[in-house]
Amino acid sequence: MKKKSGSGFRRAVLAVFGDERRQSITIPVFAVVLSLLASAVMLLALGKDPINAFLGMLRGCGIVPKANYAAKTGMLTDFMSFLNVLAPMIFAALAVAVASKTGLFNIGISGQMLFAGFIATVVVGYSDLPAAAALPLVIIIGVTAGALVGGIIGFLKYRFNINEVVSSIMLNYIIQYVVSFFINMYYVDPVSRQSMYISNASRLTITGVEIFGMKADLPLAMLLVPPAIIFAKVLFDRTKIGYEMKSVGLSRNAARYAGMSVGKNMVLSMLVSGALAGLAGVAYYLGYFNSIQPGVLTSVGFDSIAVSILGNYNPVGIFFSSFLITIVSKGSTYMSSSAAIPQEIASIITGLILVVSACTFFIRTKLARMKEREIESRKAAEAATPDEPVPAAEDSKGGER
Amino acid sequence: METFISDGLSFALPLFVIAIGGIYSERSGITNLALEGMLGMGAFVGALAVVLLTNGAFAGEFYLAMLFACLGGALFAVIHAVLCINFRANQVISGVVINILATALAAFLAKLINASVFGQNSNKFQLSTAPTLGTIIPGISGVPVLGKMYVFVPIILVVALIAWFILYKTRFGMHLRACGDNPHAVDAAGGNVARTRFIAVLASGALSGIGGICFAYYIAANFSPSIFMGYGYLSIAALIFGNWRVMPTLAACLLFGFARSGGYAVAKLLALPSTFSNLIMTLPYIVTLLLLVFFSKTNRAPRALGEIYDKGKR
Repeated sequence: MKKKSGSGFRRAVLAVFGDERRQSITIPVFAVVLSLLASAVMLLALGKDPINAFLGMLRGCGIVPKANYAAKTGMLTDFMSFLNVLAPMIFAALAVAVASKTGLFNIGISGQMLFAGFIATVVVGYSDLPAAAALPLVIIIGVTAGALVGGIIGFLKYRFNINEVVSSIMLNYIIQYVVSFFINMYYVDPVSRQSMYISNASRLTITGVEIFGMKADLPLAMLLVPPAIIFAKVLFDRTKIGYEMKSVGLSRNAARYAGMSVGKNMVLSMLVSGALAGLAGVAYYLGYFNSIQPGVLTSVGFDSIAVSILGNYNPVGIFFSSFLITIVSKGSTYMSSSAAIPQEIASIITGLILVVSACTFFIRTKLARMKEREIESRKAAEAATPDEPVPAAEDSKGGER
Repeated sequence: METFISDGLSFALPLFVIAIGGIYSERSGITNLALEGMLGMGAFVGALAVVLLTNGAFAGEFYLAMLFACLGGALFAVIHAVLCINFRANQVISGVVINILATALAAFLAKLINASVFGQNSNKFQLSTAPTLGTIIPGISGVPVLGKMYVFVPIILVVALIAWFILYKTRFGMHLRACGDNPHAVDAAGGNVARTRFIAVLASGALSGIGGICFAYYIAANFSPSIFMGYGYLSIAALIFGNWRVMPTLAACLLFGFARSGGYAVAKLLALPSTFSNLIMTLPYIVTLLLLVFFSKTNRAPRALGEIYDKGKR
């Protein structure tokens, strides 16, 4: 945005982005549109058709029909599979949001997911419990294991003043290698080189259900999405604990001065965040997949950061941004095979969305300044032609900040 | 014993040069979690220069790679500098965002360039092995540790010495450190906080690039997206442990290096199966966590670290 732009441009920008209350929606949309445009330019430079590429993503997620389907599959098959990845993404993004509201940056989601998934796999997945007992147990174990790792990070921060970013990265690697060691030593499937498949009873997906003649995998974890979103929303909007967490996030000193325990709230927030990440882990490794690939951390944990920032750390916003980022990441597989575009473009789109989202504060201040200048120039114009009526609505700048 | 020392040094010193980069950025007041991305992109550019400009028989390949890695790292660091200084983004978020972007870009571009220039379906750039001191100075090839020492070890020591000198003994270095502790004082004294910080972040990118290409040569003798192994974060841990000072950071890096090579040496001694290498790989990370537990409490981070500089603030 150039400083010396005409007032026509300024008015147009303000008409779209001017309303501060709507900025939490308009700016993320702007970020998405801008990054899609940038990647479209990149695709054009590669000699690929960007529209076809984006359609390919939607087709891969069962939102737009593909040209042809194999027998007994259809849009519903793809869409259910999409929902199956969407669920862990939403949980993971909620986990990022809970930590971020308390001023902590939980970048260890992937590690927490893997740990929870691994423990649940070993304890329940390889047992012969019936589904009625196995499924609740999977969830409970996942949540507990995730909370444990998150809690450790929170505790290290509180007790030893260790930067949570560094400690969670360290734990990510430790978990990744240790889990990979155990899988390779004890649980490896010699054919797939992954961990052995879990029992069907303990899987959070009902596979191969026939609906309208199309085989689909029903993601049970999706059932937990509404409660999780409501939980996060109520926690921060309606409870004392949530209020304290938010206060700690906004200003540690002010919170301490008001008599809140900063340390307790940080540990608590990391426990909740880890628990949600654990839920994401079991939904991913015991739902979408039924085994664990050793030596790899899932990209869901990192994409969830993008989702969370894009959704303004708001549980409802996260639902929509999860949808979008999952379309990009999941749809890229089909896009890459159908249009011969490297799949990595998906992470670039996500990365670009992140870069623009990181500038939200800057965009906001720029817009506020633009608005001031617009009001000034209107006043000047008004002074020149005194009989024109004053546009009253634009004068109040209440609600900013 | 010999491999224990040379492996330890070959791992510790690239880590050290990256950590110095981190020190530059953080002492100027910019939190830099983007070291990981910068080292990867630096290594990418260095390796790219090698595969594009040479055909595998050029003697100065390693130095060429180092030069371009340095430039590439600095260039990539511009993003972090612009986001943090000009766009006043949250520095932690900016750092993580840049790492994600770097991972994506490196994988994408490596695949693309391999496909379009060399017609291969691969995301690797093949490099030769890094030269050792013995091959350069014929006389010492028989000397125990020195003969097999990689050339980058002394190079990094020289770079570190220069970086140390600039940081502590020059006017610019003093300004840089002041920017991290009291930017308003620098402003009042007529210094330019934004410019100093910008240069500091670029320097951290350049130094990370050097470290990155050394890792690429030392660990795999190729560039692949698996360069993103968390070594950037490891060097951040080293500099925190080193209290944002150059010499103690060197000690921390050496500790990491020897923890790792020591682990491998023990595994070899006990003749453990290769699956155990997974456990050994965790050693530097566990050592980091333990050290941080003991040393984080007494640490003094630069006072203005991570704060967005606001001239009008009192």
